[in-house]
Amino acid sequence: MDRMTEAKRQYHDIPIPEELSERVMLEVKKAESNCGRKAARTATQSAVKKRTAVAAAVAAVLFVAGVNTSEAFAREVDNIPVIGALARILTFRSYEVWTEDLKISVEIPGVEVIAEELAGLEKEVNEDIYSFCERYAQEAEQRAAEYRQIFLDTGGTEEEWAAHEITIKVWYEVKSHSDRYLSLTVKGAESWTSAYSEERYYNLDMETGKWITLRDILGDDYAQIAGQSILDQIRRRGASDGIEYRTEGWQGVDEDTKFYLNQDQNPVIVLEKYEVAPGAAGQLEFEIPLEER
Amino acid sequence: MKQELYRKLVAYIVENQDKFYRLAFSYLKNQEDALDAVQNAVCKALEHYGELKSEEAFKTWFYRIVLHESIILYHAKKREVPTQDSAWMEQSYEEKGFDIHDDLYAQIDRMEETAQKIIKLRFFEELTLDEIARILDMNINTVKAKLYRSLKVLKINVGEEEDVWTV
Repeated sequence: MDRMTEAKRQYHDIPIPEELSERVMLEVKKAESNCGRKAARTATQSAVKKRTAVAAAVAAVLFVAGVNTSEAFAREVDNIPVIGALARILTFRSYEVWTEDLKISVEIPGVEVIAEELAGLEKEVNEDIYSFCERYAQEAEQRAAEYRQIFLDTGGTEEEWAAHEITIKVWYEVKSHSDRYLSLTVKGAESWTSAYSEERYYNLDMETGKWITLRDILGDDYAQIAGQSILDQIRRRGASDGIEYRTEGWQGVDEDTKFYLNQDQNPVIVLEKYEVAPGAAGQLEFEIPLEER
Repeated sequence: MKQELYRKLVAYIVENQDKFYRLAFSYLKNQEDALDAVQNAVCKALEHYGELKSEEAFKTWFYRIVLHESIILYHAKKREVPTQDSAWMEQSYEEKGFDIHDDLYAQIDRMEETAQKIIKLRFFEELTLDEIARILDMNINTVKAKLYRSLKVLKINVGEEEDVWTV
């Protein structure tokens, strides 16, 4: 039966386009208007609009509170381990909200740089993290609200909707830290669809006070070096990891390619879903080792 | 009651859309066509949901619609552009001896339509034989017999004790 397991895997590797949920929703909405529910729909639409506005306002208050209290908050958490000697990472703002039926869990990191002269970097990074988290949480909430509206418009009850346990999560992971570098990732995900998951990587050089680029680590030939290393690794892995790689149409590495630094201070390139393998393989990571630099 | 069914049907479709898309894609081999097939299936299902009698029925009912829409589109496309692939499709699995080194997924792809449906639904979608019989509107023993023959052609050994035969 091993061959069947393999065939099944191939079948499940068929990538799901993002467009699918839009197309399905489109039909659901169309069917709804055909059934003469226009009056009901308009009523719920304005209700949802109002609700979204309220939710957005609530979110804004939470975030603003986060910004304003951050200093006091940071001082309170002196027991948080210092990362390297120059910076530390702390949970800048963490909250969980249940709006009727939806659970939103947000954990926003904040970077605190010890060196006074790097205050500009600290501000820039924290603002970027903050706006990413805020945008993701709000967009995800809107997507969930749209799905919820369809569910309720078609006669579903609040209790039944609540049973779906829709969850939105924004969180972070520290990838590595040393005396000089700090590497972390901030992620957003929704429980009912993986099509919109997002993440962002933050790589900072505390000595220069700059964002680290692949060029900084690998030199001017970074695209060629990283690209070649990835192709070599794919060739070496072959079929041994059960992933069917497709590198023909791959665009290669460029300045927007996601990466982080691992504990050995090697860059780890993160390739998007579908980039070099079927979607089921998810994101793929490739460490570019020191000796290949 | 009808309202309730309708809503559950919508939830079922929305939450299982990936499965339907894969099934459609496995026939159409093309993103645009597979999206069209799923969209058509959703449209038809929501239009005709009045034919649904119970909640238990809509899983098999909707799979049937998806298969139907995919195959209609598949044949329409085949008439449009005859491709290498469609030439393969026409070969009956009884006539064709498969190369054992060929990959199984590709082999299944070349099988006759009903055999293909049974295998995909049983092994890829993990439906029960009873559900498959209802989707294909066939007697369960016919489904079993067809599955048995198909597996033999594919040179897959499935023992009597394996849960493949669980109804």
